[in-house]
Order: sequence, then structure tokens, then C-alpha cells
Amino acid sequence: MIAHALFFYFFSIIAIVSAIFVIVSRNTVHAVFFLILDFISIACLFIMIGAEFLGMMMLIVYVGAVAVLFLFVVMLMNVTEQKLSWFRGTKKTGHIPVGLIIGTVILLELIVIVGGWRYRDSFSETEFLSFNSEFTNTHMIGNVMYTDFIHLFQISGIILLLAMIGAIVLTYRKREGVKTQSYIKQISREREDSVQLKDVEFDKGVKLDD
Amino acid sequence: MLDLNFIIPEIFLTLSILIFVIIGVFIKNSFEIIYKLSLFLIFLLIVIILSNNDEYSKIFNESISIDMFSIYSKILILTSTFFILFISKRYIIDIKNNKFEYPVIVLLSILGMFIMVSSNDLIVFYLGLELQSLALYILASIDRDNIKSSEAGIKYFVLSALSSGLLLYGCSLVYGFAGSTNFETISNNTQAFNVGIIFGMVFILVGLAFKVSVVPFHMWTPDVYQGAPTSVTSFFSVVPKIAGMAIFIKFMYLPFREILDQWQYILVFMSIASMILGAVGAMAQKNIKRLMAYSSIGHMGYALAGIASGTENGFKSTLVYISIYLVMNIGAFGCILLMKRDGKYIEEINELSGISKNHPLISLGFLVILFSLAGIPPLAGFFAKFYIFMSVIESNMFTLAIVGLVTTVISAFYYIRIIKVMYFDDPKKSFERFTDYRIHGPIIISCILLISFFLYPSFLNDIVSKIIIF
Repeated sequence: MIAHALFFYFFSIIAIVSAIFVIVSRNTVHAVFFLILDFISIACLFIMIGAEFLGMMMLIVYVGAVAVLFLFVVMLMNVTEQKLSWFRGTKKTGHIPVGLIIGTVILLELIVIVGGWRYRDSFSETEFLSFNSEFTNTHMIGNVMYTDFIHLFQISGIILLLAMIGAIVLTYRKREGVKTQSYIKQISREREDSVQLKDVEFDKGVKLDD
Repeated sequence: MLDLNFIIPEIFLTLSILIFVIIGVFIKNSFEIIYKLSLFLIFLLIVIILSNNDEYSKIFNESISIDMFSIYSKILILTSTFFILFISKRYIIDIKNNKFEYPVIVLLSILGMFIMVSSNDLIVFYLGLELQSLALYILASIDRDNIKSSEAGIKYFVLSALSSGLLLYGCSLVYGFAGSTNFETISNNTQAFNVGIIFGMVFILVGLAFKVSVVPFHMWTPDVYQGAPTSVTSFFSVVPKIAGMAIFIKFMYLPFREILDQWQYILVFMSIASMILGAVGAMAQKNIKRLMAYSSIGHMGYALAGIASGTENGFKSTLVYISIYLVMNIGAFGCILLMKRDGKYIEEINELSGISKNHPLISLGFLVILFSLAGIPPLAGFFAKFYIFMSVIESNMFTLAIVGLVTTVISAFYYIRIIKVMYFDDPKKSFERFTDYRIHGPIIISCILLISFFLYPSFLNDIVSKIIIF
């Protein structure tokens, strides 16, 4: 019980502090670093209560995709003060120290969560959630996803389809005069269409009807 | 398998949308054919839904409920979409927005509203709401080369995403404290002093109020209405409002019915504030689309007053109000879509001056619709407000009723100002003649409905009185 509480407070304090730093820090790159730290801490919290699938999803979706996307946006936006030294930073706002600190904390968290994995069962018992050790979390989510929640799953699919259609409507422009290769046209071309035999008279040019 | 019988309209709609997308991709310039197919599809859907012979059920682990209430809302949504698509064809072609995606996105938003109004579960409700509003963001910015339309889309997207976030937070609180996402289980598990649920309820209220644009969450409405293309504005001002009000009623009367005394005063405040703002804000407007935005804020205030009364008559009067509101708004936007001069659509109220000389019939129709919007007695708009105030007074909320009456009088000012401009100002150049009478039909239908409503006013009440939510 105490160990559980200790782990919980360890991760949640890091999560809250980094969430505050996301808002407080003036430097956008630092803010994104703290955002990643926040996501990872919350993923660890999920893993701790036995929801390892949700935790991994947090890592893949938020840390993997969203946070990296954020970094790209921040770096491509050319924020004036960071334009020249987007990586090293100026003396005032060095990125490397902050990045190192955050990296260390993330490493620490990983060590804690991997080290604590052996004691997973004793944590889970302290939870209110009903926990069946025969099935993994992923297995159970898969079970309900395609049975009880099939309609929700389908609606989510339609939402994604709509997002796709919307993105195409709002950005796709048909360009005129683009030369594309047409296989059908190439194959169906006869010899007679393209080759003309002419008797060329001496000292006169050939008149082609083009 | 039996469950699927009840959601045949939704399945049919989804499959048709997928087929339309395929047709649209493979046939060049397919706006025309997709547009006609969509109108036909909506007609078919009305037939399918009406042919449900009173079999109501809760399906998918009670997460979707097909009942009289959802069927009534669906019919309203379909009819109004049909007429709005019908009147807006010419405008869509004129502003060169005739992409086949336009009707497809409209259909997708209808699908979202279907899911939303028949939801009996927080998750289903949220997914339906997102599907609906995602389609609306795209529609708002569909005229992408027009800077105002893009601005409207971005503005609507950012604000609406924020409100969705608040709503989702509320949903998670309610789920946490009530222990279920099912509406009935929530209401069974709700005690009067459960602070968590009340907290979540307030957040859900904020989200819903944003979607139907009542004060103090109305800021986006005038800008979005003005910026979006008129065909989209006409859709915005009617269809999402129906769905939003329907789900508003469902939330207040199903999961939160045990904490009526907690939400009642919030609704009374929002209702009074939007009635006042709708009346006062519209006075200074020169753009008719902005004016319609403020007018819709005001009308949503009256509709909320019915819900705020907390009685069964209250929500029924709201349903009647919404039904009449959609008839009036379709007519009004039909008239706005007719305002075309020298190949350009105009939106200034001053440009209407003296059109009664050149277009006597259209201005007569507009006059009837505006009088009805203002709530002048023999017309349907009066009865709509009458039922609302009846139910409000029945539950002894005299302040709400008095404020409502006063704001009705105030708001009559700006409706009548348009009539004054049309009839008594110096005539300007006449509008372009529309030869296909596509827009005139719905205007005439709406006028006839509005005028003849007083002959048999209990017609709507008879239908609505059969609706039960509990």
C-alpha cells in the first residue's frame, strides 16, 4: 500500500510540475519538452493501475506523434529569437540543459516503471478496479471493442472518414496543364497514327499536317 | 440482429454516403448528380423513418434509444435539410462551390445529428456531436478562397473545439461520480447534493449552450453567420439548432432530471440573457446575415425558456417552438438567397429599400415571415411564443415570462425596420429575376404554413403531446 502510494506520488508530482512548466515556460521548445515529460508521466500512471494498453497508447499517440509534430511546428515556425540558434539556443535560453534534465527524469521514470513491474500484482490488488489476471488489458479491450462497443467503433471510423474528406475539400486544388502519363493512351496507339511515310522530292521540304 | 432493424435509417444513410463519395470521385463534375441523389435520399429517409410502426426500443446495451422523441427530431432535421439544400442550389453554383463534397458533408452532419438525438449514453452522444460539428467546421470554411469564409471556419473550429473539451470534461466528471455513462443509470445514481455530478452538469451545459449559441456562449454566432456562405448560414441557423435543442431537452429531462432545482436557474439566466441580447444586439446591424444571427440567439433564448420551466409541457412547447422556428427561418433565408443584383449576392439591409415596387410578391412573403419572426398575432410565430409563455407561467416563473414579453416587443423593432425599408424607402434597382422558381416554392410553402397555422393550431400539439422522454 505504501509502495503504491509512493509510486503514485512520484509520478503525479512530476506530471503536475511538468504541466505547470508547459504553461509557465516562455520558450516554446522547453514547453514541448515538458509536454512530452507530462505525457510520459501520465502513461506511467496508467501502467501502474494495470491499464498498460492505455499507457502504451499514450506513449505511441501523444509522445510519438503529437509531441514530435509539435516540435516540428515549433522549429519550422521560425520564432524570431530562436531563428539562428534553434538547437543550441542563446546563452539565456539554452535548450541542451533543459533537454538533459527532462531526459534524465524520463530515464528515471522508465527505470522505476520497469523495476516496479515485478510488484505489479500487489499494486493491482489495492485498486478498486476489478482485475482479472488471466487476461491482459489489451485482450479485454479488444473483446468489448468489437462486441459491445461496435457501433461506437464504427462511428469513430466515420468521423475519421469525414476528417479525410474535409481535408481534401479544403486543400486540394486541381492544377491545370499537368502532364501525366496515360498507359491506355500509350498502349492503344497504332503505328499508323504516328508514323507517316512520305516521298521527299529533291530540293523541297516535307509538309507535315501536324 | 434484431437491434439493427431499429437503426436502418442510420445504416442506409451511412452506406449511401459511402456510395456517393465513390460516385463523386469517378464521375467528373458530379455535383449535379450527387445533389439530386442527396435530395432523393433525404426523401427516402423520411419515408423509412415514418414507416417505423411505433416500435420503440433501446438497443446496443441501451446506449441508443429509438423512440417518438428521436423520430420527431429526425423528421424535423430531414425536412429542414431537404428544403435548405433545395433553395441553396443556385447560390452554391453561383459562388462556384459546386463540389460533390458539399451535399456529402451535409449528409454526414445529418448522420451525426441522428446519432446525437437518439443517444442514450454519454459516449454515443459525444461521438454524434463530434461528427456533427466536424462537418459544420468544414461547411463554414467551404468557400475557401473567400477570406471571410476561412475566418469563419477557423473561428468556429477553435471555439467549438474548446467547448467540446469542456463538455468532455463534464462528461468524465459525471461518469466518475454516477458510475455509468448510461443516461438512465446516471439519473438513478444522482442524489441532489452530489457536488461532482452538479459540477459535471455545469460543464455539459456550457458545451451544449455553445452548440445552440445562447448567451454567454454566443460570441461566435454573428461572425460565423456573416462569414460563411449564405447557403451554409441557412443550414447553420436551422438544422444544428434543432439537434442541439433536442439533445438539450434530453439531457435536462433524462440524466439530470433529479437535480432540476440545480439547473433550472442556470437555464433561466441563459434564457433571459439571450432574449435580451438577441433583441438589443440586432438593432444596430446593417448586414442581414448578422441580424439573422442575433435573431437566432434571441429565438434560442425563447426555446430555452420552455426547457427552463422544467415541466413536461415545457419541453413540448420547446419542440413546437423549434418546429415553427425552422419554417420561419427557411422562408427568411429563401428571401435572403433571392437578393442578387448585377450578378452579386448582397447582404446589406439598405439594399432592400423599396423592393416592394419591383417585387411585390417576394416582399409580401418576406413581410409575412418577418411578422411571424416578430410574433405578431395571427401568424404561427405568435403561437410558438404563446405556448412557451404558457408553460413558463404554469410553473410560476413570472420574471422569465415578463422579460420574454418585453424582449418580444423590443425585437419587433428590427424586424419591422426591414419591412419599413422594403415598403417605404425609395426604390433602388430591381433584383435579378430568378426563372426557375426553385427558391420561391419553399418561401410560398413557408408563408402558407405560417398564415394557416391559426386555423388548426393544435395540429403540432397533437403530435408533440405523444412524445414521452421518461
